[in-house]
Amino acid sequence: MSFINYATREIQLKIVYYGCGLCGKTTNLQVIHEMLADESKGKLTSLATNQDRTLFFDFMPLVAEAIKGFSTKFQMYTVPGQVMYNLTRRLVLKGVDGVVFTADSQWDKMEENVESFNNLIENLSLQGDSIDKVPYVIQYNKMDLPSVAPVNYLEFLLNNRGVRHPSIIASAKTGEGVLETLNLVTRLVLNNFIKTQTGRSPAEKKNLVLM
Amino acid sequence: MAFSLVQNDVEKLDRILQELLVQSEANGCLVCDYSGYVLAQQGVDAQQDPLLISALGAGVFSASRELARLLGEDKFSAVFHQGERKSIFICAVNLDVLLVVIFTNDASVGLVKLYAGPATAAMRGVLEEVRHRELTVPVPEHTFVLNDAENVFTKR
Ligand SMILES: Nc1nc2c(ncn2[C@@H]2O[C@H](COP(=O)(O)OP(=O)(O)O)[C@@H](O)[C@H]2O)c(=O)[nH]1
Ligand SMILES: [Mg+2]
Repeated sequence: MSFINYATREIQLKIVYYGCGLCGKTTNLQVIHEMLADESKGKLTSLATNQDRTLFFDFMPLVAEAIKGFSTKFQMYTVPGQVMYNLTRRLVLKGVDGVVFTADSQWDKMEENVESFNNLIENLSLQGDSIDKVPYVIQYNKMDLPSVAPVNYLEFLLNNRGVRHPSIIASAKTGEGVLETLNLVTRLVLNNFIKTQTGRSPAEKKNLVLM
Repeated sequence: MAFSLVQNDVEKLDRILQELLVQSEANGCLVCDYSGYVLAQQGVDAQQDPLLISALGAGVFSASRELARLLGEDKFSAVFHQGERKSIFICAVNLDVLLVVIFTNDASVGLVKLYAGPATAAMRGVLEEVRHRELTVPVPEHTFVLNDAENVFTKR
């Protein structure tokens, strides 16, 4: 659910990087933070344990001139991947406008990827959202490593919900595919925003007024 | 779905926040929702980053509420963090919205708590009006148009 402030001419949208522990979500935000100019980014805040694993979430605001006459603020979050932090994941997903599902492409992570994707579906449905309504992209990360699954297998495993979703090959550590992923998800989120904002027909409005 | 505030709503919220600052002698306060969206703020300078305060505030509040639930405490409604010089008080406005108050320790938490009550009640009124309007007359007619840059973000 996006938020429009007509007083400050500001639109706020929320994007969440989801995926299993250590798949590269925090690295994505770190790379974005390095790549973007100061005027488009705020501070990257990581709430991590001393083992560098995300305990609570990472947060970074981005700002763009994406919609005419408004300043568009994207609130970027990552979730902690570890199974035990499911409550935190639910909190972070609240009001989400778009998701990047980051997969760890290494063969021995397939089970964790699938489990995390199913967990995303479940958590979205718990808050009354549906994975088929929330814009999302799938990022196949760590493609620089030797023992990774081929893309068509990853697609078969994670991108199999009737409508094919946009997917991207990445190596967050080297920066490959990171900005492309960000641009893809923001594009989807913006298009969805425009669509839902113009989607309320006058007839619908009239009915609502009569009620 | 989007939810939106118009000039008039923000002015009302701002006025409530300004009054709260004066009465409670706090330094800054903001209203945000659980998604981390900032609805209005007063006195929170850029250095303190309102967006970050709301993201963390919503996190802290939800975590504490979960802790309270574990203890079988369901009437839980506020969080107070006391620092050496500055403190922060967070309380629920309604099921979706929070009030965050930041104050130096020259002010008293008692005063903040005292005035936060009527302030949240007044905000509930404003938000209730907004909700009612969203259900009846969907906000000012506005067609949003995307800028046509190929990419939203580019490398510096
Ligand atoms: N080889 C390689 N390592 C990566 C890549 N992306 C992330 N990593 C490493 O994987 C580890 C976990 O990454 P992190 O971003 O903290 O994962 P998170 O738990 O999803 O936030 C770190 O040591 C990263 O440097 C990648 O594309 N290739
Ligand atoms: Mg992390």
